Amino acid sequence: MHRVGIIGIGHGVFGHRSDCSVQELAFEAFRAALEDAGIERQEVDASVIGAVPEYHKQRSLAGVVQEYLGLLPKPTWLTEVACASGSAAVRSAWMAIRAGVHDVVAVIGCQKMTELTTAEILALMGRVGEVQWESGFGTTFPAYYAMFARRHMHEYGTTREQLLEVAIKNHHYGALNPYAMFRKEITREKALASDEVASPFHVYDCCANADGAACVILASEERVRALPVQPVWLSGLGCATASMSVLHRPSLTGLPSAERAAAEAYGMAGVGSDEIEVAEVHDCFTIAEIMAYEDLGFCKKGEGGPFVEDGQARIGGRVAVNVDGGLKAKGHPIGATGVSMIYEICKQLRGEAGDRQVPDASVGLTHNVGGIGQYCFVHVLTRD
Amino acid sequence: MFKWFGLVNYSPYTKVAAFAQHLRDGRLMASRCLRCGRTVFPPKADCVECMGEEFEFVEISGRSTLHTFTKVVTAPTGFEHQAPYVVGVVDLDEGGRALARFGDTLDEDEIEIGMELQVVPRMLEETEEIHVYYSLEAPQ
Amino acid sequence: MDLGLEGQSAIVTGGRSGIGATIARSLAREGCDVAIVDRVVDEEALRLVAEIEAMGRGAMAIEADVRGHEEARRVVDAVLSEVGRLDILVCNAGINRDGVIWKMSEEQWDTVIDVNLKGYFNYNKAAASVFKDQRSGKIVNIASINGLRGKFGQANYAASKAGEIAMSKALARELGKFNVNVNVVAPGMVATEMVRQLPAGFIEQAIDESALGRLGSPEDCADAVVFLCSERARHITGEVVKVDGGQYM
Repeated sequence: MHRVGIIGIGHGVFGHRSDCSVQELAFEAFRAALEDAGIERQEVDASVIGAVPEYHKQRSLAGVVQEYLGLLPKPTWLTEVACASGSAAVRSAWMAIRAGVHDVVAVIGCQKMTELTTAEILALMGRVGEVQWESGFGTTFPAYYAMFARRHMHEYGTTREQLLEVAIKNHHYGALNPYAMFRKEITREKALASDEVASPFHVYDCCANADGAACVILASEERVRALPVQPVWLSGLGCATASMSVLHRPSLTGLPSAERAAAEAYGMAGVGSDEIEVAEVHDCFTIAEIMAYEDLGFCKKGEGGPFVEDGQARIGGRVAVNVDGGLKAKGHPIGATGVSMIYEICKQLRGEAGDRQVPDASVGLTHNVGGIGQYCFVHVLTRD
Repeated sequence: MFKWFGLVNYSPYTKVAAFAQHLRDGRLMASRCLRCGRTVFPPKADCVECMGEEFEFVEISGRSTLHTFTKVVTAPTGFEHQAPYVVGVVDLDEGGRALARFGDTLDEDEIEIGMELQVVPRMLEETEEIHVYYSLEAPQ
Repeated sequence: MDLGLEGQSAIVTGGRSGIGATIARSLAREGCDVAIVDRVVDEEALRLVAEIEAMGRGAMAIEADVRGHEEARRVVDAVLSEVGRLDILVCNAGINRDGVIWKMSEEQWDTVIDVNLKGYFNYNKAAASVFKDQRSGKIVNIASINGLRGKFGQANYAASKAGEIAMSKALARELGKFNVNVNVVAPGMVATEMVRQLPAGFIEQAIDESALGRLGSPEDCADAVVFLCSERARHITGEVVKVDGGQYM
């Protein structure tokens, strides 16, 4: 058998972690995952680090983290695909195990963003599109998604209230998540009154920069069976790319990379979109979650707004989406997010999600997007 | 020199650098692959269709339709003093798309997806350095 | 040398007499239509206009006090509408009111600064607006070597001339990317009406100072001006060309 299972998970508190360095953040999550798996550190054959290097003063993060975690001289490498770096690390580890190169791989998604000033971060975020033809006009990350939102509103009649419902829902669940950056609910009035960022987005339409780390330990089926753990299986993986430039994407109301990656993951796992019970999607902006429902097939194209407005994305709805708070309430430490998503789905499939538990969840999905959709990784996880 | 292109320039070196000189002369240029004839905007030295590496510039009219837009309020570094400003993505009549800044001929409340716009070559006048770009204006 | 001035249109302030008239004549000889701007448009001015027309060129004389800021713009507009184009501006209108500083009145100071420096500002601004939009133009501002050195009794004149020189360099920087050249011709002592009225000692002193041992002529200055207005000087800007026979080095 060639399946890959997740045997241990760990998560740190996301937010302004000025109490520690990036390697210290990584240690928090790694130690927790090791304990959770019930294995010794020496049993880890290799690690893969998901992080975006340009935010750190420390160059070549993977080696520093490996050393700090006490994993020398085991192999390690960095995977970077913008906000999907954590998922790329997961895929990379899966490939190594499937290829028979390693049996147990620790995947650590970690990121410190607050070492830079807001201005430096904004400068970097303005360069996620095509630097040669777009950034010279003063684009920003929110500006791109704001343009997607405007087009979506134009083509499908999606409303500002529907966008905000995403934020309200996610903050509701984030309030129940001890690892989230924002632990308070928000009201519609507060959201509507917040400062404009890039029309039609206001502050509450946008996720926040954050520091944080999460860790999942993957193992070969053979190793999984030898351990007294309840694994979660990485049953389907999909990965696709799309144009980095909005000038070359036929449609700006969905992410073609997400549609492709989802189809691949569903195919590999042998499940349909209607079988997904709990999902973690990439809500870097409110419109991103709405587009995700559509791209992942949870609802028809253009119906994402009504979908969330009708409560279909809450626990008890058609599919519980981002019930750990999503990027919106957790914050978005970019390298860590993909791994944090896997952590949450594992919690759900194990029945360990407490007051955010989706009853009897057995099939879950993570949807992790890099940049403005140039990369997308979709993972389908199953309990059995 | 391509470093003239953009209100701030992050990518000064490119095989299509002459685009900036043409813009300075008031001409908006697409590129045409000499091998297969495919024309693209923005210009590219290398053709993904046929893998050709030779191209020529061809002038385009700048007539276009607005696909989407946003008003940037929180601006990136280097643009703080210009905020707020409106950027738009237009579908060019001759094919391809451009992303550009709205100019002075339109008020914010006049902007609507689907409207016709003219992409106009511009040079910043009140700076010592040369900055060329293009702006979205009402059609003449 | 083909100067490439055929069919171009020029404005010369203070063009009624002296160096200005010679500049106007020389530009016309090279093919320009010329508009003369002067405080007084009299028979002398009209004779110059006729002379230029007899060469087969267009000419006009406009009465204006160069101190008028708005008037400068109206003059430029008038030339544009009459001739249909403007390619060259030569600012030459200037006066002096010499005296030692402890006796120099406020009026002496103000008038020289206003006519010389403010006058050049007014016309340079009006022309620059046109030249920048058409992405071409040549400006030559006539200064003086006494803007480069300290001359006894000319605190006001020197200040205005030095101001014209610095202003021209600033403008060369501002207008360069619009393909507009801004240069200065700085004459030494030139044999004109203005100079003929000076005591003989002054003229002798100037001749002694000059390496070439002579006074300059209006033609000497005009030749340099015409060159700087031409296509042959397209790569010269922000320059100060002294036409002083080596009077000041």
